[in-house]
Amino acid sequence: MKQAFIETLEKLMRENKNIITITADMGYSVFESIQKKFPKRFFNTGITEQSSTSIAAGLALMGHEVYFYAQAPFITMRNFEQVRLDLAYNNLNVKLIGTNAGVSLNQLGVSHFAVEDVAVMRLLPNFTVFTPGSPKEMSQCMQKAHLIKGPTYLRFTKGGPEEIKGLPLIDGIDGVFFVSGALLKTAYEIVSSLKKKNIHLSLYSVPIVSPFNRKQFVKQAQNLPLFTLEEHSVIGGLGTIISEVVVDLRMKNTVTKFGLEHKFIHVTGSIDYLLKANGIDAKKIQATIVRQLKK
Amino acid sequence: MQLNNKTIVGLQNEAKEIRRTVLSMIVSAHASHIAPSYSIVELLVYLYGYVLQINPKKPLDTNRDRFLLSKGWGISALYTVLARKRFFSEKKLKEYCTDGSKLIGIATFNGTPGIEASTGSIGHGLPLGIGMALGMRLQSIKKKVYVLMGDGEIDEGTTWESALIASHHKLSNLIAIIDYNKWQSFGRTNEVLNLEPLAAKWKAFGWNVLEIDGHDFQEIADAFASVAQEKSRPSMIIAHTIKGKGLSAIEDKNDYHYKTPREAELAVAKKEGLL
Repeated sequence: MKQAFIETLEKLMRENKNIITITADMGYSVFESIQKKFPKRFFNTGITEQSSTSIAAGLALMGHEVYFYAQAPFITMRNFEQVRLDLAYNNLNVKLIGTNAGVSLNQLGVSHFAVEDVAVMRLLPNFTVFTPGSPKEMSQCMQKAHLIKGPTYLRFTKGGPEEIKGLPLIDGIDGVFFVSGALLKTAYEIVSSLKKKNIHLSLYSVPIVSPFNRKQFVKQAQNLPLFTLEEHSVIGGLGTIISEVVVDLRMKNTVTKFGLEHKFIHVTGSIDYLLKANGIDAKKIQATIVRQLKK
Repeated sequence: MQLNNKTIVGLQNEAKEIRRTVLSMIVSAHASHIAPSYSIVELLVYLYGYVLQINPKKPLDTNRDRFLLSKGWGISALYTVLARKRFFSEKKLKEYCTDGSKLIGIATFNGTPGIEASTGSIGHGLPLGIGMALGMRLQSIKKKVYVLMGDGEIDEGTTWESALIASHHKLSNLIAIIDYNKWQSFGRTNEVLNLEPLAAKWKAFGWNVLEIDGHDFQEIADAFASVAQEKSRPSMIIAHTIKGKGLSAIEDKNDYHYKTPREAELAVAKKEGLL
């Protein structure tokens, strides 16, 4: 996914001379090529996420399109007030790229987790929030972000390196599964496994969670039970967004949300361990879906 | 640049007229922030009179200087100066802080001509200015970015991040000014969070530092002439000012960061030619 990000950014920088990339001292083994190829348009502004956000805004006010890259928790929550005023209110052409979202930095604990970032970023008017789930979606999201002349946030997690062929699955008759981010692979495995049990779910990846495409969603949801999955708190992300739409539009669908439980994680472990122990356990999700659909 | 007496008297008269307008705006809107608006009047008068290259008829012309009022709560003075320079009509000043008006009590990027960004949430102006200065350098725009900050404002961490960054990138096209009136929200700056030795701090960060009387037009003129010659460092003008300068009843009194002048103060204002 990171490779797709860097390749797309490099292509965009090659084609658009007004693009500037800023990093708050992140990007070891990521940005070396860009730094070498575009030395005048690449700035490492040091470990200064707050100031760097305003600097990105200043560059955008001068007509530049700015990509600002840092760890997901620090590019959204440490600098949230700058993001809100300088980027969102001023509606500036700055693309925030949050790497290692979710529990990607599994060994580092809560300081380096970003499980609330989608929730806070979708609150801001003018912002578009991207959650690509595969290298292909990463490239598409970057291209879409480039076409938007306003602020965007793109978050990605570790994982999701493979492309899954045959998506979306649109022939579900028992329910619809919506997933954002790299858990697309997990969702696909769950849906495939349920199929063997004669439970047929459609599967859609949602790489743009905000603004949410309600029209498309209504078509996809039909009147079937809905399930959501994301490497994010169950509060505020895709599951909440879909629940809100269902309520707002007086839809009859049930919604079951899968994501990280609303609590802090106090331990370390592998990504798989942390997800499993905190609400994203493929077997339990399957069992819940089976139980729900039998009701 | 040597100013002759006639010029200085003219500038002083202009400053007084601006204070008169600001007072009427603040009183009419029952607004706050008269004292921090009064402390920057001479700086604004000189900047917009002699320094800033911004065409009021083309306020978005790419090839212009940029001015950021980082202490965005001094906005009543800036609106007045902008209106006098015909960025917008002076009649519009009557709208200040009234229902539905875009003339908000903090500098806000809402289409008001001459306002370059939303500032006044403190600690934003300097890094915004750095971004603009970097952009100018990249685009070979031979203009400058001026950022006027409050003294309490520089408590914010972004100030010191920015001090490092501007110096590291040798942004000689960035000029910051501190309105050093020695008051912040809850008390004297040296009692709340001591800034001293202020000049030495900025020098240590690698800035070209000048200290002036922020109400003395000759010193202001000399400072801006001097920083214009700087080729390799960002410049910092520490302007020693008096909060509420120009109306004796509110001078050096922090109450008027918040309070609207009432009868007693207005009686003094009348005596001093501000009403």
